[in-house]
Amino acid sequence: MVTSSSAVGRLLPAISSRLRPPPDDELREYGGVALVRRKRVIDVGCGDGRMALGCAPYASAVFGVDPDPSAIRLARIKARELGAANTHFKVGVAQELPFADGSFDVVILSWTL
Amino acid sequence: MVDALKEARRILRPRGILVDARPDSRVLAYAERGAATGTYRQAGVIATSREELTNDRRSDDAVATAVRSGWFRSLGAGRFWHRVLFEDRAALQRYLDDHARFVHRVRWMVDPATRRRWDRDPWAIRRAVRHERFARF
Repeated sequence: MVTSSSAVGRLLPAISSRLRPPPDDELREYGGVALVRRKRVIDVGCGDGRMALGCAPYASAVFGVDPDPSAIRLARIKARELGAANTHFKVGVAQELPFADGSFDVVILSWTL
Repeated sequence: MVDALKEARRILRPRGILVDARPDSRVLAYAERGAATGTYRQAGVIATSREELTNDRRSDDAVATAVRSGWFRSLGAGRFWHRVLFEDRAALQRYLDDHARFVHRVRWMVDPATRRRWDRDPWAIRRAVRHERFARF
């Protein structure tokens, strides 16, 4: 049974980042660090923060949003461990993002759609 | 999915960049056996499950709708490959059994005796990832 598109973000648990490419590899494929350097970046469907934390050393600020609270908790722990003070993680769904219009330079949907 | 793209457009500044990356179900994935040298050799192919093919098509349709609606224009697309590593063949099979993306059976390119001989070697699933960058109108 296929769920409706508006419910997908709420129903799918975040998948372990160890099954995904290293963020540096992924960023390189998208054009390299220039894509996010000194930019405000949001990773929608961030899971445990793999991609968001990979962007953090280059970006001015990185936000991660995911519907799975346990994934967001893990992302926050990882951010603290890495000292990534410019990262911010929130529980939320892609269809209703708690940010003002035009807030970001880059939106990343990595394994999200 | 279209709702998510609409929301992405809303929070992007004009000419901001959207990156969409997803597993590429238009090509098969491979089961690969790792050799002691660290290289991997194809030993089978793995198809995407029917449900995931349907979901991928819905994602494609959503992106096409967003472009057709004038929300974004494409800046270029590409594909890269990556390996999900497993300690042995049983671990690879457990992954296939537990996850919905792929069918649960590998279509083997090597005979059963060879596979048994390689059971305890490291294994990998090599799969394609497609990506596209868009600029917000």
